[in-house]
Amino acid sequence: MQRIMLHLDRCNGCLTCTLACAAAHSKSGHIIGAMMEGVQSRIHIQSVKGKAVPVLCRHCEEPACVDACMAGAMQKNPVTGIVTNDGNEQSCVGCWMCIMACPYGVIVQSKDGTVAVKCDGCKDREIPACVEACHTRALEYMDVDEFAAVKRQETAYQLAKPAV
Amino acid sequence: MRHVIIGNSIAAIKAVEAIRSVDRKAPITIIADEHGPAYSRCLLPDYLAGTRSEADLSIRSRDFYRQMGVELVLGRAVTKVVPADREVELAGGLRYGYDRLLIATGSSTFMPPIPGLGGNGVFGLRSLGDAKAIQSALPGARRAVVVGAGLVGLEAAYALYRRGLEVTVVEKMPQILPQQFDRRAAHILRQDMETEGIRFILGCGIQEVAGPSLWSRVMGKAGQGVFLEGGERLKAELVVVATGAVPNVGLVQDTGIKVNRGIVVDRFMQTSIPGIYAAGDVAETRDAVTGLYGLSPIWPNAAAQGRIAGLNMAGVQREYSSMVGMQNAVEFREVPAIAVGIVNTPGDDYEVFADYRPDKNYYRKLVMKNDVLVGMILVGDIRSAGVLSGLIKKKANVRTFKHLLRRPDFGYGHLLVKLA
Amino acid sequence: MSNCKSCSAAPTCISAHASINQMHDRTQSLGIDTCFDRYEAQQPQCGFGMQGVCCQLCSHGPCRITPKAPVAICGATADTIVARNLVRLATHGTSAYTHHLEELAKTIKATAQGKTPFSIGDVHKLKEIAGIVGLDINKPVNELAEQLADVILAELRKGADEPLALVNIFAPKTRLEAWNKLGVVPGGVLSEVRDALTKSMSNINTDPIDLLLTVVRLSIAAGYMGLVATITMQDILLGTPSLTTSEADLGVIDPDTVNIVAHGHVPLVATAVLMVAESEEMQALAKQAGAKGIKVYGSMCTGQELMQRSATSGKGFAGQLGNWLTQEFMIATGAVDLVMMDMNCSIPGMKTVADRFHTKLVAVDRILRMAGVTDHVDYQPEQVAEQAKELIRMAVDAYKNRGKDILIPTNKSGAVAGFSVETILGALGGSLDPLLDAIKKGAIKGIVAVVGCTNNRNGHDTKGLTIMKELIKQDVLVINAGCMSSAAQIEGLMLPAAAEEAGEGLKAVCKALGIPPVLNFGSCVDIGRIGVAVTVIANALGVDPSDLPVAASAPEYLEQKAVVDGVFAVAFGLLTHIGPVPPVTGGPLVTKVLTEDIESLLGGRVLVEEDPVKAAQAMVAHIDAKRAKLGI
Repeated sequence: MQRIMLHLDRCNGCLTCTLACAAAHSKSGHIIGAMMEGVQSRIHIQSVKGKAVPVLCRHCEEPACVDACMAGAMQKNPVTGIVTNDGNEQSCVGCWMCIMACPYGVIVQSKDGTVAVKCDGCKDREIPACVEACHTRALEYMDVDEFAAVKRQETAYQLAKPAV
Repeated sequence: MRHVIIGNSIAAIKAVEAIRSVDRKAPITIIADEHGPAYSRCLLPDYLAGTRSEADLSIRSRDFYRQMGVELVLGRAVTKVVPADREVELAGGLRYGYDRLLIATGSSTFMPPIPGLGGNGVFGLRSLGDAKAIQSALPGARRAVVVGAGLVGLEAAYALYRRGLEVTVVEKMPQILPQQFDRRAAHILRQDMETEGIRFILGCGIQEVAGPSLWSRVMGKAGQGVFLEGGERLKAELVVVATGAVPNVGLVQDTGIKVNRGIVVDRFMQTSIPGIYAAGDVAETRDAVTGLYGLSPIWPNAAAQGRIAGLNMAGVQREYSSMVGMQNAVEFREVPAIAVGIVNTPGDDYEVFADYRPDKNYYRKLVMKNDVLVGMILVGDIRSAGVLSGLIKKKANVRTFKHLLRRPDFGYGHLLVKLA
Repeated sequence: MSNCKSCSAAPTCISAHASINQMHDRTQSLGIDTCFDRYEAQQPQCGFGMQGVCCQLCSHGPCRITPKAPVAICGATADTIVARNLVRLATHGTSAYTHHLEELAKTIKATAQGKTPFSIGDVHKLKEIAGIVGLDINKPVNELAEQLADVILAELRKGADEPLALVNIFAPKTRLEAWNKLGVVPGGVLSEVRDALTKSMSNINTDPIDLLLTVVRLSIAAGYMGLVATITMQDILLGTPSLTTSEADLGVIDPDTVNIVAHGHVPLVATAVLMVAESEEMQALAKQAGAKGIKVYGSMCTGQELMQRSATSGKGFAGQLGNWLTQEFMIATGAVDLVMMDMNCSIPGMKTVADRFHTKLVAVDRILRMAGVTDHVDYQPEQVAEQAKELIRMAVDAYKNRGKDILIPTNKSGAVAGFSVETILGALGGSLDPLLDAIKKGAIKGIVAVVGCTNNRNGHDTKGLTIMKELIKQDVLVINAGCMSSAAQIEGLMLPAAAEEAGEGLKAVCKALGIPPVLNFGSCVDIGRIGVAVTVIANALGVDPSDLPVAASAPEYLEQKAVVDGVFAVAFGLLTHIGPVPPVTGGPLVTKVLTEDIESLLGGRVLVEEDPVKAAQAMVAHIDAKRAKLGI
């Protein structure tokens, strides 16, 4: 099982990931086409005091959005671990319960206001489009175990750093 | 370990999935009085409106029960639970033995004591059966009255409106959605529906529902409508009652299982009798915001409760982290709105931040107490709902970043930077 | 605004000025987006662009320098890309200044031929400059003026290999030596612009150091032609500024008159409008329409030009509304009937606001066009008398359509205007000595020119005003030009009473001379006036400008003209503080050269500091060091 790892300090807010995400979810498959089709990005870059902060789905172990989905559309795939409301047996009705439930705020309304839109882990790609597009390596795709190890290492490093 | 689950909605389904995630073999039996596979009650208005078929109401795939190895006993009501024998009894006397029992019987429409409510042409909207009954009453119906402007009432009103009926909603309280929203938000949402042509009579109760006389019934005529408290009559062929719900606790009467309004459970979703669990609309849990025991009859909570109950039934001890009992998302026409927790402040010791832009149908209200976020309303722009409701649920102290919460674009990024 | 928004008062405070905050509340409630809102919508901004490491020149690109791609497809490094982008910015700035100067030279020619309503406003200065450039000053005034205009036009147009006469004439000798050593004494400005643009094409000049020297060359060309020549020619035509008082802020708008705003940088059409506004014919028109009269206000640098000459050619000027970030809000008052837009700094956002009201936007310069604006009264010296009347007629017509939804903030402040070398000498009794003595004694520690644009990045005028207040508190005399002038005017810093906010030494000097602690030098081309003043001081003391206790600050720099201004200040030998970090940080070599190495070559360097208080402190420390070196 693989996950997207975020290195917050590396993101410079170029938004290329959002373009790549839109392209990957467009009919045309490329950036310009995606912009003409008006495809939304499923990765969001917030600006916090001028610092760019990517906000992306973690595909939680016990996803609040899945619990909240009253249509049964939002499901976590037991094999890939990907949480999505797209391509499952039931379809999304746009009740926004998942938007209310997701503590990371990564689910948004579609432009036409009919369905909820979120990261689908780029099911059909080997590496998610956002990761592939990231020029600063703020986003990396790695195995969950490796991911956990890196996170542990980072935490240890943070703890070991002398207090400022 | 034999598992018996009474009920077949989301709490039951989640419990099955949870049990199976740790135990592939233990026998599981689902007993439910409804006939079909699990479906979403929340989607009934869409079904009623004709935008979603019956098949599309189901929340799990066709062969879910087979995959999960569940024995299904459908169309049979459990009449009583017999803890002493570790058995449940069905109408007709048939008994099923259990080692672990989950009561997930949900709730039913509360019918206020108003004359005529039980009559023909008067419906609730809580089950597929209700929805089908309304549907079969639609031919020939031109006008509908919905009693109660809660979520179910408004959803029903909008569904009937989409079916081409003239709809009037009557609500005793002076605003719509009195349980969930404050007056300002309710005002925006009401305007949104009024734009569509749905009529509201607020601050007015119902005196009587005048059913059809015997003669008119013979002639195939519908009822005379509804009499308001002032005596005014609203003509209608169809009346939908949506004045609340009551938990289905009848089957545990005289069993010794502790019941307030619902079945009281501990943090492992277990009732006062070991081995017997309850989840969903029928259960009473501790609320994350108020700290009090109460019902929390909403879908996400039922799902989480079912999951936790299932895990505990299967022997994996897992605590139910309290949920916010009152949290709802709505969108009737085009204005989305979300309310969570305490939105009408009961005292002075609350801090309220409100940003209201009437021209944009935008409203954002945050309610804090002792630097803890306890409630919120978002209308128009609901992007930050999840992050805020997460803070409410966690009872996080927001003192150091209160000013950030006021930003319309507040999001997880702000918390992430704070953590880093 | 981003930093501002993080404080708890944030949602209501986007500008340093109460009037603008009030107007922003109004635009928000009207559902009109303005710069402040669009700025938020643009966040976060691309880090590659911020660092200047994005190249879009060829169709292999766009390329950007990243950890995984440290060079562009062609092989260009971050430094090459950054320096090349900087050349293009500087070229823009230089050529825009050229346009201003050319309009002036042509106007002087036409005036000399008797074809305009103007007359030569400063004969003394005409003769002085004409003499310096080698013309026969005994010729009749008009003939001399025409010849001087021709000299300037020839200077603009000559080859890059013919050094600019004005540089040789005006630059301090020590500067000239330094510049000659580096080979950066420029030739004809248009040729320099051509060379710079050519160099910055893909794969012609890819040497970051040579590109940086090109920027310096351009900035010297812009400094002596775009700034010094422009103010000189403007003084010759419209008169050298004289000390006068005026008012600033949106509160000056009169709800009962036909209101015309002169917005931009080139005050020629605006002056013509002022000249005819008081005529019986025009007044009658206004009164027929139900107005009490006609008022001409200033916005941005055109306003500053009118204000500093409001005792002479700008007579009748009704006050300054504000700077760059004010343009949308002045229209949102609902009481502006016509905005005449000359040359630059007219943002498309203005049209959106104008469409919500009755305001007519008119382009008065052939190079300015704005989508949706169909009225063009393109300045022609020979036609300007009639053009001015046409503009007033258009304003009166617009006035008739004025709606009822009017909100004019009550805020306004008085301001002293018209400072220049000449007026300072006049005020000091013909000699610089009193000022130099005050500096030598330390009553005035030094001088900082806080100039240039305003910028939303840290709150409208917030940073500039913080720096000014911090500097005067520490006995540093502040000189303003450009949008920073409006910032100080509105907050009352250009009144003698503001001396109370200064340190003891500066306060005493201000009180003795009856001057404010922040001197109003006018518009952004008047940075040239500051350059002349520093030259005069340096010559009087017999030192190089880089030895003086002087610094420059563009705390809220915004556009390309400011880029050449900033580099010119560095080339002139001054420590030059730049507020928003310019897009060069992606090039390590370029950054190092601009902030460190350049000091040994040119005497000045760039100081990048976003915190205004720290920036002020750094400049004071610089001044202290220079004082110590001079032994004062």
